[in-house]
Amino acid sequence: MASVSIRNVRKSYGPVEIIKGVSIDIQDGEFVILVGPSGCGKSTLLRMIAGLEEISGGTIAIDDRIVNDMPPKDRDIAMVFQNYALYPHMTIADNMSFALRLKNTAKSEIAAKVERAADILGLGPLLGRFPRQLSGGQRQRVAMGRAIVRDPKVFLFDEPLSNLDAKLRVQMRTEIKEMHQRLKTTTVYVTHDQIEAMTMADKIVVMHDGIIEQIGAPLDLYDNPANMFVAGFIGSPAMNFIPGSIGGDGFTTESGDRLPLGGRVPAASDGRPAVYGVRPEHFRLADEGMAAEVVVVEPTGSETQMVLRPLGAKAGREDRKRELTWVLRERTGAKPGEVVRIAPDPALAHLFNPDTGLRL
Amino acid sequence: MSRPLRKLLDKAGMAVCVLLLVSPALLFFIWMLSLSLKFEIDNGAYPPILIPDRFAWKNYTTIFEGNSFLLYFWNSLIVTGAATLFALLVGVPAGYGIARMRAHKSAVVIMIARMTPGLSFLIPLFLLFQWLGLLGTLWPQIIIHLVVTVPIVIWIMIGYFETTPMELEEAAMVDGATRWQIFAKVALPIAKPGIVVAFILSVIFSWNNFVFGIVLASRETRTLPVAVYNMLSFEQVSWGPLAAAALVVTLPVLILTVAAQRQIVAGLTAGAVKGG
Repeated sequence: MASVSIRNVRKSYGPVEIIKGVSIDIQDGEFVILVGPSGCGKSTLLRMIAGLEEISGGTIAIDDRIVNDMPPKDRDIAMVFQNYALYPHMTIADNMSFALRLKNTAKSEIAAKVERAADILGLGPLLGRFPRQLSGGQRQRVAMGRAIVRDPKVFLFDEPLSNLDAKLRVQMRTEIKEMHQRLKTTTVYVTHDQIEAMTMADKIVVMHDGIIEQIGAPLDLYDNPANMFVAGFIGSPAMNFIPGSIGGDGFTTESGDRLPLGGRVPAASDGRPAVYGVRPEHFRLADEGMAAEVVVVEPTGSETQMVLRPLGAKAGREDRKRELTWVLRERTGAKPGEVVRIAPDPALAHLFNPDTGLRL
Repeated sequence: MSRPLRKLLDKAGMAVCVLLLVSPALLFFIWMLSLSLKFEIDNGAYPPILIPDRFAWKNYTTIFEGNSFLLYFWNSLIVTGAATLFALLVGVPAGYGIARMRAHKSAVVIMIARMTPGLSFLIPLFLLFQWLGLLGTLWPQIIIHLVVTVPIVIWIMIGYFETTPMELEEAAMVDGATRWQIFAKVALPIAKPGIVVAFILSVIFSWNNFVFGIVLASRETRTLPVAVYNMLSFEQVSWGPLAAAALVVTLPVLILTVAAQRQIVAGLTAGAVKGG
């Protein structure tokens, strides 16, 4: 177990800067998830922590020791790859004991550690088989077993669940979380799936285009996003963004509807253009609310998702952009084409600066 | 036209094309076989006889008596075996290094070495061997065969290592392996099919080599292809024994190729398509 300190780290490939000065403090035992869209630099950052990529600027320290120039094998880390990276010519037991055999560890100790890891992950009956004989989920567990056996200071996971089907992913998510609660090893986990981030992390780092947009606990990021990117990335279905301007004690949308701000009007902003953000689950039926036509009703069993188009929408602009998503817990008899009146909960609404994206 | 009939015609057309393409090589072998089993009289007969009435098995037996055939077979074995072994010892790590370091320029240099006609090395190397006093031994042939075998091995191994997923080696790096350990314990076992292909192709090209042997071999050190050539005497061309000898020399490599054809194709096309 150890802390990981990332200070002002930069990474360039030739003239192109991929990571533009990133700083993260990871406490001992924390489960930190790097999340962001493809190409944001999260995998590159993880590989720099592992030592598989050179660091162009800044420092990375594991347990207060700067590791910039240390090769991966000396950093006392273990990594789980997206494609499992199991040695195809070795049995599962040999795969898991490879690192220990390289260090000439005593055979009895190797056997004990492999057995312990196999117990935790339910791999006992598979130890004599080869990777090609295993399913995707089993292979991923072996990859994790290989990491556990090492008993390292830090676990690094590089999108380990991306190659699994949806059901298996949900199951493995729970297993990984349980494993972390049991072993308490510092973990850095990379994913593009914000649901994984929300369900597993102690702390989430949202990355975008090589910079950090926000760091915080999952519910913090959900309730108080610092900018439009984080607000739109975290939470599914995504937050609704309604452009318009602040006026009086409320908000006027571009199509003329009035939305409440609940008295939380920022100072000196009358008439100022802004973006009103409201999550799909924070709408309710209201006679005084915005009129909108139902476009699609999507019942998922536990809830109903509806796509609505505000009636005041100007002609000529892209219809899709004007559409709002509303998520209800109850079943509804609403049909496409019907008009409903909805209003957001003012206490849970957000205001953003349309130019910078930052919250107001 | 009905579908079954169409399918049949397609298959027939395919068979005709294959036959046309394959027949020159095939017919050549069949004629050689026929020649090797005929007595001298039958050779000049017109119309040509394909299957003679009496089989001249003595054509085959004369190869093995009095002609030191087994000595030449042994020479071929040593030369090809040693050249292939050295090529693998040097070429496999070289291919690994070039593939991992993306040293494309080195790969091009080796390609040029492969394409240069062997004859251009022959004279300088002959003088060198003469000066070193090696001419009576098999060493000159072994060394010059390396010019043929090493580039083959390197080229095939470069292609093969370039398709080995880097993630496996990265996993080994994180697990604590040094470069040599990664090569020996991870890359090499996975590249076994590639090594088999390199071995086979190296054997094939080295065994059949004729040009180097003609210049560098003495009476005791000549290899099989050269021995067959020497069976052509000035007075008359004894086609029967000659054809028999040629067939016997070709046989080992032919069997090897037919047995390993799938591996050869796999090795040559490795990495061409994702997942292959």
